[in-house]
Amino acid sequence: MSSALAAIDLGKRYGRKWALSKCTLDIPAGRVVGLVGPNGAGKTTLLHLAVGLLRPSTGSITVLDQVPACSAQQLGRIGFVAQDTPVYAGLSVAAHLQMGAALNASWDMQIAERRISDLGLDPKQHAGRLSGGQRAQLALTLAIAKRPSLLLLDEPVASLDPLARREFLAILMDVVAEHNVSVILSSHLVADLERVCDHLVVLAASRVQVNGDIDDLLSTHHRLVGPRRDLDNLPDTVHVVEASHTDRQTTVTVRSVDPILDPVWSVEPLTMEDLVLAYMGQAEQQRRDLVRLKGGT
Amino acid sequence: MIRFAWRQFRLQVLVVSGLLVAVAVVLLITGPHMAHLFGELKNCKSKNDCSFLTTAIGTSNSDIDNFMTATNLVFPAIIGIFWGAPLFARELETGTYRLAWSQGVTRSKWIGCKLAVVGVASMVAAGLMGWMLTWWSSPIDTVNANRFGTQIYDTHYIVPIGYAAFAFAVGVAAGVLWRRTLPAMATTLVVFVAARITFAQKLRPDLLSPVKLVSKLSRAGGYGFEQTPNGLHFIVGAENLPNALVFNAVVKGKHGARVTSQWLQTNCPKLLIHVSPVGGRTGVGIKGNGAPKAFSECVDKIAANFHQVLTYQPASRFWPFQWIEGSIFLGAGVALCAFSYWWLRRRVA
Repeated sequence: MSSALAAIDLGKRYGRKWALSKCTLDIPAGRVVGLVGPNGAGKTTLLHLAVGLLRPSTGSITVLDQVPACSAQQLGRIGFVAQDTPVYAGLSVAAHLQMGAALNASWDMQIAERRISDLGLDPKQHAGRLSGGQRAQLALTLAIAKRPSLLLLDEPVASLDPLARREFLAILMDVVAEHNVSVILSSHLVADLERVCDHLVVLAASRVQVNGDIDDLLSTHHRLVGPRRDLDNLPDTVHVVEASHTDRQTTVTVRSVDPILDPVWSVEPLTMEDLVLAYMGQAEQQRRDLVRLKGGT
Repeated sequence: MIRFAWRQFRLQVLVVSGLLVAVAVVLLITGPHMAHLFGELKNCKSKNDCSFLTTAIGTSNSDIDNFMTATNLVFPAIIGIFWGAPLFARELETGTYRLAWSQGVTRSKWIGCKLAVVGVASMVAAGLMGWMLTWWSSPIDTVNANRFGTQIYDTHYIVPIGYAAFAFAVGVAAGVLWRRTLPAMATTLVVFVAARITFAQKLRPDLLSPVKLVSKLSRAGGYGFEQTPNGLHFIVGAENLPNALVFNAVVKGKHGARVTSQWLQTNCPKLLIHVSPVGGRTGVGIKGNGAPKAFSECVDKIAANFHQVLTYQPASRFWPFQWIEGSIFLGAGVALCAFSYWWLRRRVA
């Protein structure tokens, strides 16, 4: 299967600060991928690298098996909706569609016009006067009507109210079903992603924490609850993601392909939110440890 | 892409076109009358009529002429501020570059198209503006015969096109460096004005090395004595050569000798030359009825022993100067655009 996005040791540095580092990732095509992480985790940086707005400081990235923005044809295969869904405030909705038609060889004006009329937008309306939800819909229309193979969406719903958010995601799902595109969607709202995604990438502290199909991830991650004890005697095949202890009880989030058979533990399934939070917590813990280590020397 | 570049640029084009039309209307209303006066001047018979017509052409539209000259002087700055500075700064400021650069057009082509479309439009607009003023003011220009003056040289023919290209490029470069429209606009104004003034005052006079014309002492431009810290000097005023850029006239003898206090004491005994013992201060004075005669005899003597050297740029150099200065500004503009192109492609986002 071809890959939607593949990165090897990808890194982006601004001055001395790494916005993204040592990112090795392979996302297969044909998925709806949720890219999750706290603010400042590197989600936007990764998406900008993927669309060719940024060049990598280290490593390499390919999107649909090509270097991002290497040609007009490559750019035409990617539909990108940037954060805060920028549109030209001074241009009308219709002018935006004309722009799309002028700048994209594969533009389908029928799709664009049908979507605008379905949304109830007035083509003469200036984009600066649209509501946040309408603006996001216009940006999505521009990305879809170029008939891309891959849609990249950077926090498209972050600034929308819950109703507009639900509507946006519903339309996105229709598009995915209708046009058979791959989607990579970043968000820090797990609940939104849960509804639409079938693949998850957790990005935290500038690193990829976990990457996999959601069904696989949920079936291989477990929460173990048992009396307080050391974790050293867990089998080698069990990877501890996060652990917390109270005086009497230990709670561990683990990844394990094999079922956990030790009767000491009561095994509970994880929700996607639990999973994301566990990996984000792990990244935060590592960061704190690193700071403490540096402080100690 | 070219069509979209135009579409984005439409409002600014409309505003500047409006300005051009307003100028054209004023010039079309007042122009024919001046052309008529000029036609009369060419056929005038009596000396009185001719000088009357000359004055009429020179003064009747001087307010409009001054206003149009001012408009033409600031026009390139307007282009730089309102066309150049926002061209990329607004995209970077509002984040729409993320929309633009993810369309099915490479970044290079997108930048190149915008630079070409708006850059060429800048030069066309400035060329039109200059050409209208050139047409309108040609009677005044002929009468004034001062082609190197600001009213003609800086606003006519080729240099305004170079200025506009340069101002546009300064605006673009300021925009991509600031990534914000307002500071880019302010920077454009400051840099453009500074470059223009520096060039006009420091570089333009020496674009070609000036001609030195050695001639007999001319009394046309006025003459007299001047007291300097080095003693008394005899000076002549530079005569006004039509359409030339005259710098100065210097009175010199053999081997570059000047007229000195000592020389005057020896050769013009009837003039009272004081050389004060303290600090060597000098003064010249004449007494009695024979004074004017003594003065003119002395000047005759000076004329017999000294000549004058006139330093100037001849009228025939008007076009070379226009081409050279215009090319320098255009070249600087092209270089700045190349820099902005590189910067946007490599360094931004």
